[in-house]
Amino acid sequence: MSASVEVEGIGFGAASDPVLENITFSLAAGHFMGIVGPNGAGKSTLLALLIGMLTPRSGIVRFAGVAMDAKHRRKILQRVAFVHQLQAQHPSLPITVEEVVAMGDPKFGSWLWRRAKVRDRIAEALESVGILHCMAKDFRVLSGGQRQRVRLARALMRNPTVLLLDEPSAALDTQAQDQLYRLLRQLCDQQGKTIIMVEHDIAAISSFVDSVACLNRRIHHHAMAGEQIPPQVWQDMYGSHMHVMAHDHACIGCQQPEVTVV
Amino acid sequence: MMDGFFASEVMRDALWPALLIAVVASTVSVMVLAHRLSFLTVGVAHASLAGLGLAAVTGLPLLPMASLVAVSVALLLPWMPTGKGIHNDAASGMLFSGSMALGVLLLAGADRQQVDIFGLLFGNILLISQQDISYLMLISCGVMVAVAWAARVWWSIAFDATTAEANGVPVQRYRLLLYAVVGLTVILCVKLAGVVLTTGLMVLPAAIAWFWGRSLWSLWWVSMVAAITGVFGGLMVSYAADWPAGATIVMMLCLLFCGSWGTQWLMQRDRRSQI
Repeated sequence: MSASVEVEGIGFGAASDPVLENITFSLAAGHFMGIVGPNGAGKSTLLALLIGMLTPRSGIVRFAGVAMDAKHRRKILQRVAFVHQLQAQHPSLPITVEEVVAMGDPKFGSWLWRRAKVRDRIAEALESVGILHCMAKDFRVLSGGQRQRVRLARALMRNPTVLLLDEPSAALDTQAQDQLYRLLRQLCDQQGKTIIMVEHDIAAISSFVDSVACLNRRIHHHAMAGEQIPPQVWQDMYGSHMHVMAHDHACIGCQQPEVTVV
Repeated sequence: MMDGFFASEVMRDALWPALLIAVVASTVSVMVLAHRLSFLTVGVAHASLAGLGLAAVTGLPLLPMASLVAVSVALLLPWMPTGKGIHNDAASGMLFSGSMALGVLLLAGADRQQVDIFGLLFGNILLISQQDISYLMLISCGVMVAVAWAARVWWSIAFDATTAEANGVPVQRYRLLLYAVVGLTVILCVKLAGVVLTTGLMVLPAAIAWFWGRSLWSLWWVSMVAAITGVFGGLMVSYAADWPAGATIVMMLCLLFCGSWGTQWLMQRDRRSQI
């Protein structure tokens, strides 16, 4: 059986000064992968390559064995959903939560599409992210955490097998971050969704993900859950001024004493 | 006054085309605000002067020529070198000033007797011909079909273009279609309010609706009701006071905007005082 997501030798940017080079990984269905790295490491570029918004210089991306190319992109995107940073949407557009979630339906742009036909699915998506009670509300009055849940519900309207998230917790407080990661973990465990999430804070995600890829132009290390990332990897990614310290305090997302990068 | 208004053949002939323009302009107006294209409407309206100048010089029909230039200028906008630090507002400014300069030069060479400059600048819906009505109907049908076909996608692009693109929507193609639709709608409005006042019709209905709308559909309906009220009320007042129709309609819409603003302010003050 083919992997849910396969990335083979992806390169992007000029060969002399690549943005990304030789990115390779393979994820089974239900796997939750975090991608961490410094600013400008190519994390968001990698997600854009995965969903075909950018074309790689070399390598190939496959979803369930089907190559992401111009011929198959439309079909693949019916089962792959993307959630990007919170700040990106129109800040003052009067729109209800129901209307936002409806936009996620793959047939939303069709001439014959009617919202009444998908109202049950909208309610289902909102219920799965725990904010069904907000369905009729104005999107603008929601909190940051609620907005991000609505955006997740919009992605779930596609019934995706793969979810790609670009810093979904940006602008969220620590409690809302924690709730969001728990929700994503549930989607993997209960619905078998494969999730690739770009984040800055490894401490926050470490107890929710199955693996963490340390990215800075290339994948320096792909650590599985429970595995400690060698200090050398941090220094390779962030520079020699980085030090790794063990401590015995719990932090957000940590269920046990953790290692923190300072 | 109502009897006199409806008894006037000029007003009767102008009312239905004006209301048709109100419906189309208010429909497109919400997209203009959602996609932040207000300055494009200013640009395209002024650029239409080049089309009017071309029509005056060549003797070809006025509205089709203006439509051709308006749509061409609107579609040129995405091709401007915005990557070089020239943003959309600067690109619109350059396009409209260049086209307007061309229009002025062409009109300077045209037969002054054939060109109704005041009508071009401030609108002349009261002098609308049967040929103009047919052409306006044709454009209106085209615009409304395009809106019915593409509106949902335009909404999703306005709300979050990156996610729309990630969902496989050809964002750039839909934007081009929207620019063309805005260009055509501007020409409708030029007939009613003239080059100078067209932006009022393209922006004010949706700006009023922004105060009251809580959903995309309500935004649309409020915008339409505001435009119809402004056009109908404006024509009535212009008949009663013998004022220019285009300017009176835009002034009526401005009053509706100020009324909405004031009412919202009072409502918010009441809410705050109850806390």
